[in-house]
Amino acid sequence: MSGSESSPVPQPVIPPPPPPPPSESSARPIVEVENVTKSFGDVVAVSDVSFTVGPGVTALLGPNGAGKSTLFRMLCGLTAPSRGAVRVLGEKAREHREVRGRIGLAPQQDALLDRFTAYEFVELAGRTHGVADPSGRARQSLAYVDLDPEDPKRVGAYSKGMRQRVKLAAALVNDPDLLILDEPLTGLDPVQRNRMISLFHDLGDGGKCLLVSSHVLDEVARIGSNVLVVAQGRLVASGDYRRLRELMDDRPHRIRVQSDDARKLASALIGRGVADGAAVRENTLLIDTLNVDRFGRSIAPISSELGIRLREVVPTDDDLESVFRYLVERR
Amino acid sequence: MSGSVSGLRAIVIAHRLLVRQLVTRGRIAALLVVGIVVSLVVALVSRAVGEDESTEEALEVGIEVMSNLGFTIVVPIVALVFASAAFGDLKEDGTLVYLWLRPMDRWPIVVGAWLATVSVSLPVTLVPLTVAALIADVGSELVWATVLACVVGNLAYSAVFMLLGLLTKNSVVWGIGYILIWEGLVAGISGVGEKLAIRGYTRSIIADQTGVDLYLGDLSLMTAIVVPVLVILAAFVLSTLRLRSLDVA
Repeated sequence: MSGSESSPVPQPVIPPPPPPPPSESSARPIVEVENVTKSFGDVVAVSDVSFTVGPGVTALLGPNGAGKSTLFRMLCGLTAPSRGAVRVLGEKAREHREVRGRIGLAPQQDALLDRFTAYEFVELAGRTHGVADPSGRARQSLAYVDLDPEDPKRVGAYSKGMRQRVKLAAALVNDPDLLILDEPLTGLDPVQRNRMISLFHDLGDGGKCLLVSSHVLDEVARIGSNVLVVAQGRLVASGDYRRLRELMDDRPHRIRVQSDDARKLASALIGRGVADGAAVRENTLLIDTLNVDRFGRSIAPISSELGIRLREVVPTDDDLESVFRYLVERR
Repeated sequence: MSGSVSGLRAIVIAHRLLVRQLVTRGRIAALLVVGIVVSLVVALVSRAVGEDESTEEALEVGIEVMSNLGFTIVVPIVALVFASAAFGDLKEDGTLVYLWLRPMDRWPIVVGAWLATVSVSLPVTLVPLTVAALIADVGSELVWATVLACVVGNLAYSAVFMLLGLLTKNSVVWGIGYILIWEGLVAGISGVGEKLAIRGYTRSIIADQTGVDLYLGDLSLMTAIVVPVLVILAAFVLSTLRLRSLDVA
């Protein structure tokens, strides 16, 4: 990953939503990230990122390797920023043990104490947090995530989805003010996903600050309306998800078409305004279009009219990487 | 809902957690086998010599065999296996976060980890070596010397190798390098090397308690106990600083 340490502060491509009316709970942001850069040797994992987050659910969206987990680790104090400042509840978690007690983290890596049962693991999390009734809280947290506290099986024998839920329960056990969930929906089935997303919203509505990362666009739409988009270690967009979605829908799309006469099809598509650009390589046609819906409706009738046989029509950039690339290039 | 965890409470939590993580059937079985085999060798050699030679010579041979096998191999290796794993395993498998990201000071976690290491490794070494000293039947001096040297050696090695587990990725390799190269070679040819070898202190305890001259065993009993205690304290301080500055995955 590349990045310049002297680069200017990135300007969000989406203006942030209007601030909520001031209230006691939102007087000060729970998370403050100021011009933070994190390098590992020559590799810049996070570059000059700034944002603040208050109560509610905020989704951190970015492809794998974008720097999401590094950002989360810095928020928790697990690693120190190379430059800039990260504060949670006004303090640095790396230095203030009381702040560490107000954070709940479900890390991305599939690491649990495999010889413990789910109850033992979550109860231990409660004791290490100094909660008043670790046993009761452990049972309550496990119930939140639909796990049985009496299950005698060790977590080492659990499925990926069950392990994710154990991590979530452990993150909830201390009733944290800031809940950091790194790809928490990975491995969950659709029913569990819905259940977890609903739980996130309940917690957010209750005044907790939830930061939830994902690399799945549609998942983010359901997690939170407030999004932070990270790509190549930079914050490339932040604000309301619906505006981000509109922006992404407006971007040019590239589609690969295999046919028995690519040149003839290319001239027809451009001539009729269905494509904005085309490149031909043997029988493969690469089309750029701003109106993907119109292209989708027109390609078959035009081919049929010209007597051209279509073999394949595939969008080549309908993935998050291309969306992020587009957002980065726009900056 | 969440509060701070007191130092004593944090020691108990870290100790309980790490004992559970350290005790695996494979580890205990393998190390018990090593301890029992070495102990049998010590006992059999001492008894064999005792039948042919005088009691004094049998004692000398018993002490020599005990020092060379028990305190050069069993005590440091057993301590290395458990102590390096105390933090090393948690770092390796990504579970250190469940102790680190908590409202607890760092020093109780270090003390708890050391106590966990000692709780597991001391019985694994002390029992077979004491039994060997008893079977050797060359006098009660060897039994008491073995018990004292085993306790001092185990406590000191555990603290040093626990620190090693926090400082390096391949702590077992570094630990074996220390045992074989530093304690085995450098300590014998350099005065500084000798003072930085725990083996010199355990051998000195045996020499002092039995009255038998031993290579690298010329320190007073007081020195042989006080210096390892200082080593343990230094290892605690360094481990605490390291844990505080660690990048946790």
